[in-house]
Amino acid sequence: MIVINDLKKVYKDVVAVDGLNLTIGDGELFALLGVNGAGKTTTIKMLSTLTAPTDGDALIDGYSIVKDGDKIKEIIDVSMQETAIARKLTVEENVEFYARLSGQSKEEVVRSKQFVYDVFGLDKVAGKRAARLSGGWQRKLSIALALVSHPKVLFLDEPTLGLDVIARRELWDVIEGLKGKMTIILTTHYMEEAEALADRIGIMKDGKLLFVGTKEQLFERSGKTGVEEAFVAIVSGGAYA
Amino acid sequence: MRKSLARIGVLTGRNLKEILRDPISLVFAIVMPLVLEILFYLIFHDLTAQFEMRYLAPGIVVFAQSFLALFVGLLLATDRSTSFLTRLYVSKARSYEFIISYAIAIVPIVLIQSVLFFVVGGLFDHAIFTVGMLFAVLLGLVTSLFFIATGLLLGCVCNEKSVGGICSIVIAGQSVLSGMWFPLDGVNQGMLTVMKVLPFRNATMVIQNALNGIGNAVDDLIVPIAIVLAYTLVVFAVAILIFKLKMKSK
Repeated sequence: MIVINDLKKVYKDVVAVDGLNLTIGDGELFALLGVNGAGKTTTIKMLSTLTAPTDGDALIDGYSIVKDGDKIKEIIDVSMQETAIARKLTVEENVEFYARLSGQSKEEVVRSKQFVYDVFGLDKVAGKRAARLSGGWQRKLSIALALVSHPKVLFLDEPTLGLDVIARRELWDVIEGLKGKMTIILTTHYMEEAEALADRIGIMKDGKLLFVGTKEQLFERSGKTGVEEAFVAIVSGGAYA
Repeated sequence: MRKSLARIGVLTGRNLKEILRDPISLVFAIVMPLVLEILFYLIFHDLTAQFEMRYLAPGIVVFAQSFLALFVGLLLATDRSTSFLTRLYVSKARSYEFIISYAIAIVPIVLIQSVLFFVVGGLFDHAIFTVGMLFAVLLGLVTSLFFIATGLLLGCVCNEKSVGGICSIVIAGQSVLSGMWFPLDGVNQGMLTVMKVLPFRNATMVIQNALNGIGNAVDDLIVPIAIVLAYTLVVFAVAILIFKLKMKSK
């Protein structure tokens, strides 16, 4: 379970995240929506210990992101907005590298490799250097690497950004398949992505959380019937959660 | 401790593969200095002692090491500019583990450079095939640490576009301030003092003296090594500190 308490991040005179309070249950897929600069990525960076909060705290499985960074790193992984792969290594070498870096034994490395091959179909391109893959395959590899450490909590920051429709749908299938196996916090610009995948949706604007709930609750609150229309209504209206 | 060493090993393996799969950098670090060694020897060795192989080969060894600053700086700056390194920050690896892994990955290149330049040099002048050559290869590992540390520091503070230009200053510094390309007789006292307090001339002296024999151990070897190591330690410490700050600021 993730419990976020008054989480705040200030960069010089810009308040990126402003007193975020939120609880996300085990195995839940939570989608964080917001326009550019809403504070989604900063929230992910704080929760994944990449940046320290200015104030407040969050507990992941009971561990504080402020005090227990090492413990948190054992149970989380993150796929950043940009593709994050070792470009001159092959797909197989990338997977082995991440598995070994997370402290896995030889047998565990083999199992991890098989796991991500099965989930993402990466065995088809295992011997290819990452730099020579198409954008879609690079993105798949990047997300697959976040699964190599078998995290309890997975952060996906704009996982399908820049992908074509087919590649996006394929990734949706993969993420759908992960639901319930781990807690997933996903940020996205694509409303239909949140609608298709998320158990609950959070909408951020100017560092504040304007809405938290299921899509049915979102429709009810906004008086709209599509996530995109509801999102626009909430963000424009500014009703707080 | 064991886990830390294991992580350093994994990171080093990846860095080494990245380096060995970059043929252009290898050309700069190995092929170009080798060509210079052969050309300068063939053209100038009869004209001035400066280019006799016993002085030229050690000079080329250290000159080629200055390219390692570019090598490692570019690798680190490129990693920093992508999300690759950001993702690794989520692993349990510490800042010093990252820095050490980048440094160790360069060591095989240092050994290849030294052995190759001495062996090829020895083909032209058999007199340099002595025990001193082994000594010079070993001390080459020590002097290379200064250039590796400098590359790491520049890789921490520069982006992938600017790191090449800044590292070329280090390469130029090694060329001019090592005194390997021109006789020091005509150099004024002020310039000589600058050369004595900076690491470039001292690094070259260490390798030249190790190869050719030591007259006075303190002046010829211990003081120059101490100066190079002092710069190395300071630059490494600053690089680790800045890397750590960059990790946190992510």
